[in-house]
Amino acid sequence: MSVTTASTIGLTSRNVDPGFGALLQSEWTKLRSLRSTWIMVSLAIGLSIGFSALIALTSGLTHDSWNDDVRAAFDPVLTTNSGSLFGCILLIVLGVTAVTSEYSSRMVRTTFIVNPRRYQVFAAKAMVVGLLGLVITAISIPGMFLVSQPIFGHYGLETASVTDSATYRILIIIILTQVLNYALIPFSIAWLLRGTASAITVSLGFLWLPWMLGPILPVWVKQNVLRYLPDVATNSLSGITKADTAQYLGQTPAVMVIAIWLTGLLAAAAFVLNRRDV
Amino acid sequence: MITATGLTKRYGSTVAVDGLTFEVKPGIVTGFLGPNGAGKTTSMRLILGLDKATEGTVTVNGHSYRDKRAPMQEIGALIDPSAVHGGRSAYSHLLWQAQSGGLPRHRVDEVLESVGLTDVAGKKVGGFSLGMHQRLGIASALLGDPPVLLFDEPVNGLDPEGIQWVRSLMRRFADEGRTVFISSHMMSEMEQTADHVLVIGRGRLVADLPMDEFMQRSAHSHVKIVSLRAHDLIPHLEANGALVTNGTVNELTVTGLDAPAIGAIAFEQGIPLNELSLQRASLETAFMELTHDSVEFRADRGPARDVAFA
Repeated sequence: MSVTTASTIGLTSRNVDPGFGALLQSEWTKLRSLRSTWIMVSLAIGLSIGFSALIALTSGLTHDSWNDDVRAAFDPVLTTNSGSLFGCILLIVLGVTAVTSEYSSRMVRTTFIVNPRRYQVFAAKAMVVGLLGLVITAISIPGMFLVSQPIFGHYGLETASVTDSATYRILIIIILTQVLNYALIPFSIAWLLRGTASAITVSLGFLWLPWMLGPILPVWVKQNVLRYLPDVATNSLSGITKADTAQYLGQTPAVMVIAIWLTGLLAAAAFVLNRRDV
Repeated sequence: MITATGLTKRYGSTVAVDGLTFEVKPGIVTGFLGPNGAGKTTSMRLILGLDKATEGTVTVNGHSYRDKRAPMQEIGALIDPSAVHGGRSAYSHLLWQAQSGGLPRHRVDEVLESVGLTDVAGKKVGGFSLGMHQRLGIASALLGDPPVLLFDEPVNGLDPEGIQWVRSLMRRFADEGRTVFISSHMMSEMEQTADHVLVIGRGRLVADLPMDEFMQRSAHSHVKIVSLRAHDLIPHLEANGALVTNGTVNELTVTGLDAPAIGAIAFEQGIPLNELSLQRASLETAFMELTHDSVEFRADRGPARDVAFA
């Protein structure tokens, strides 16, 4: 038994700070070791690209009968983004369950027993979730674009090239803002609410209700409320919301709105986590 | 060494832990006893920094748990063995913990080996039995090879074989020179493992003493006598200050005199004894007496509830 005692002393003397890198590794192990993570990643990429291909095909098949309004609304870059609906829902689920699965299994206690520095654990998890979300959007957004162009071309619709700087810029904006809005904002909400169903519901409502209710709301609400919400601001940035509409926000203010919401919610979540009993 | 000073935790108006002051000394097994709901788990959560104390402090090796950088190498804990994600393999479950604590990967294989889970390391934890969960939880606690171990109700729900295994493990940890702090609501668990006991009831510390002293003090011993002439003996015993109660016709229960004294009296009187034995009240009884006033939910509230329902 003296051997074990010796090893105890040995390990204790190496009682050094594991560092932030160790936490990143740990959070990545948590995420990658669940099959559900990979199902979500594949669904997010597969469904969004598949759906965009389908929309491109229907556009091609029906464009002869389009009226002028629909024709004017067609955009060879933004129309390809229609499949994002699925990608975004799955990003929300990913961001939320990365947190709430720890609460529902009560494993969160072990998380903070093995490493009691809550701010660092929070930051490591946010980074890992954000990076995985970025992998998803960095594949799905260009994927949706690339799969749609040959279909548009085949049916004689206007096409865009990824090498075109305007196109390039829009795709990058969407890749980045989708991760921030749909993975990291729900991630923060999940820490605050701690339940899967409630966090997903609140995230969906917060991100999409303004977008769904937008058309029926008075101009005053659009100008003073809606355009300061993260998802609406994102649409101003990517050009989905046109400059002549009431909820349009200039580029710099739009970036600021997104940054303030994101940092505000992340900070609130981290603050509450640090104070609350787990 | 775990040191609590005036440790208090209130949830709203409920006082879960009320001014606990104690020390868990190094190198021995300390039992933390109390009925269900007495505040044992809350105390453990306070020690581990999961809950914030309303008042008072608790430190592990002189520092608050939440200030620690690499706590796994200082203290290992098992508080809720079922708190695992069922979709993860046992190996992955231990790996993320090892990584978080800055421990080398080979520690995962070593602890799996030491709790006998090597063969199921790649299996999903969701399919594990209660006993396997317990083994996995103990493996987690051992990852950092810590000198201090903390276990909350480690034998709860285990089969006799599992209980035996946990007991021998606790003893082994103590023999290796580790500090072991185990909570239990079953006195009999502690009888064989603990060197020192802390008894808690309704959040308050009821007793803090070495195990053997606890056993002596709380065992209301009496002497049992069996004799065919038992009745003839009663007046002589009472004359020497004993309190005698009759069992069956030939049996007496005596308190206030020890066995040698009773033997001497019987010899003087020429009364033959068939049996003369010291009877010790069980630890369970002693424990019940100690915590009697502090049990939160008492069965004698029953009738009142019946009235309310009527």
